[in-house]
Amino acid sequence: MATVRLLMLQKALLHRTTSRSSSQLLLRPPSIPILTSLRAFSSAAALSPPSTAVVYDLHGPPDTVTRITELPPVEIKENDVCVKMLAAPINPSDINRIEGVYPVRPAVPAVGGYEGVGEVHSVGPGVKGFSAGDLVISSPPSSGTWQTYVVKEQSLWHRIDNGTPIEYAATVTVNPLTALRMVEDFVDLNSGDSIVQNGATSIVGQCVIQLARERGIHTINIIRDRARSDEVKEKLKKLGADEVYTESQLEVKNLKSLLINLPEPALGFNCVGGNAASLVLKFLRQGGTMVTYGGMSKKPITVSTTSFIFKDLSLRGFWLQKWMTSEKATECRSMIDYLLGLTREGKLIYDMELVPFNNFQTALEKALGKLGSQPKQVIKF
Amino acid sequence: MATVRLLMLQKALLHRTTSWSSSQLLLRSPSIPILTSLRAFSSAAALSPPSTAVVYDQHGPPDTVTRITELPPVEIKENDVCVKMLAAPINPSDINRIEGVYPVRPPVPAVGGYEGVGEVHSVGPGVKGFSAGDLVISSPPSSGTWQTYVVKEQSLWHRIDNGTPIEYAATVTVNPLTALRMVEDFVDLNSGDSIVQNGATSIVGQCVIQLARERGIHTVNIIRDRARSDEVKEKLKKLGADEVYTESQLEVKNLKSLLINLPEPALGFNCVGGNAASLVLKFLRQGGTMVTYGGMSKKPITVSTTSFIFRDLSLRGFWLQKWMTSEKAKECRSMIDYLLGLTREGKLIYDMELVPFNNFQTALEKALGKLGSQPKQVIKF
Repeated sequence: MATVRLLMLQKALLHRTTSRSSSQLLLRPPSIPILTSLRAFSSAAALSPPSTAVVYDLHGPPDTVTRITELPPVEIKENDVCVKMLAAPINPSDINRIEGVYPVRPAVPAVGGYEGVGEVHSVGPGVKGFSAGDLVISSPPSSGTWQTYVVKEQSLWHRIDNGTPIEYAATVTVNPLTALRMVEDFVDLNSGDSIVQNGATSIVGQCVIQLARERGIHTINIIRDRARSDEVKEKLKKLGADEVYTESQLEVKNLKSLLINLPEPALGFNCVGGNAASLVLKFLRQGGTMVTYGGMSKKPITVSTTSFIFKDLSLRGFWLQKWMTSEKATECRSMIDYLLGLTREGKLIYDMELVPFNNFQTALEKALGKLGSQPKQVIKF
Repeated sequence: MATVRLLMLQKALLHRTTSWSSSQLLLRSPSIPILTSLRAFSSAAALSPPSTAVVYDQHGPPDTVTRITELPPVEIKENDVCVKMLAAPINPSDINRIEGVYPVRPPVPAVGGYEGVGEVHSVGPGVKGFSAGDLVISSPPSSGTWQTYVVKEQSLWHRIDNGTPIEYAATVTVNPLTALRMVEDFVDLNSGDSIVQNGATSIVGQCVIQLARERGIHTVNIIRDRARSDEVKEKLKKLGADEVYTESQLEVKNLKSLLINLPEPALGFNCVGGNAASLVLKFLRQGGTMVTYGGMSKKPITVSTTSFIFRDLSLRGFWLQKWMTSEKAKECRSMIDYLLGLTREGKLIYDMELVPFNNFQTALEKALGKLGSQPKQVIKF
């Protein structure tokens, strides 16, 4: 008797599971063999809704290997929080992970994305401190944010102010945090000092300008040559950039003569490589440090022997994922709160484009650089 | 009456001054106008002998712009020590100074050379601690050692053990000290750790091998391809090198698989640039540091973005002249004594060729690399 009822219930539920609706059903046993189903049914495991996700089964060009598919519901355990994702960006490192050129990447098949914001959908019975509707980000960040539902243990979620604009919440963990750590952790700077950087129009670049300005630190910014570069310069200056130069403007003999009222920078940031990196090195003062955190031109960095011996330059690197150890988790969250506070005060702003999930392909092409220069693409679920 | 005697004395002395003998006459008034000669004669200033020196009046190729000439005697003041030079090497930096490519160089006309050893010839009346015949080196080192007599204030001379072989005393200050500082000051190494370096046959390279061995530190050495490279490898291994490879031997896919029993090095030294520098970078372990102290190939150093971001490599430089501030003077001397002690114990040995001063031109050509691979040229006065 019980067996038949079970079978009929399971059949009905299986039918529901494979439907493409984003059902709000919370109690639904997974599709499992009859023998163990009795046990599963009586413990009444909670389930997430099915999740629509950007998945890739092998590494390769993201616009080729990714597909949108529905993943089955996942069990919400005792201490899990099920989050309905609201927004997640497409970052260069997300692209690299899919391409397979990132040294730390999830095993395929995998869901793309690494940071994002969502609202709490439901919680397991042991969860404290989270209620349905709370705005949360995963902290530390981890792979799999390009989907509609994510279930993770409560300690991996960080609750943020409900008034936070979702595009900023979605993008605070990777780039603004990188900018903050690079400004703070390499050279002791004081108000009045200078930083030089290339890739100034990137999110990190825009954050560096503003975070430096918060500390009274000047920035010398290098952007690549482009049409309407004057507009770009104006925009960066509005954010607080002291000087903005295109690369071709810097093909002069005495670079440093351009720094009329600014001290020579002791710290420089590079995310481009090639000539743009050489320009950062040229600006640095004696004993300066250049930190590399990206390589958009795909060209290596070339340094003369004299730069090391006579100019005493130091060259280092920064990788947020490596910096973000488990010991840093708490520290990380206060930094994120600080950064989000700045965004709410209007002291940290940067360009983004919110794109509905069903336009993911176009957003991906923009992020891949196939449609010219574009603002940061943020998927809205 | 007095005037005539003075004139006759002066005439006799002038005759002596212009002779080409290395006269031991200590009291000799300079050739000065009669009116002031009375005063000069009565204060009886001590003079050095004339000095035969390698001089250059302008910057350029050393084999073209240098000439050997006799410089007039120099006054030995109250606290001066007059030293008869015994030996001085031709170092790459000496060549660079003459070429004018070294950022800190004496104004022309100048005497070449930067380090060397001599014996005390005579001292001013206020000098304590130096007697004729004492073996001394100038410490800190300074320009002008390629000549037969040097007069300097007593505090600038360091007395060394009279039994020290002069070729080691002549060459201890620049290269062995560079090797010592690089092994000690950049990365905390323990016995069992490894260092990787290129330019292993240079004096610095040979010193690194031996100084590292003193500390139980292994060395992985890279030399350029050459005829009889096996002999060179054997020689370096006799000094204590753990591994020696030619550059072409290292054109393999998995470089680190060669390190069978050695840990990956955390520290690397580069004095070549170009491909040889890339090989040092390839050997370094995660978080490793490469220190550049020379650039014999005249090629820059090329580093990939991933080396900085994912491998967390640091690139630095070392310049002895910069390190050698006035505060370091005392520290310097104990280091030199330590290094000379090692040479006397046979724990620090390297190839040199002692060349008589009258063969200076040939020694210079060898040092300029015009006669193939040569041992360090040390001029013997």
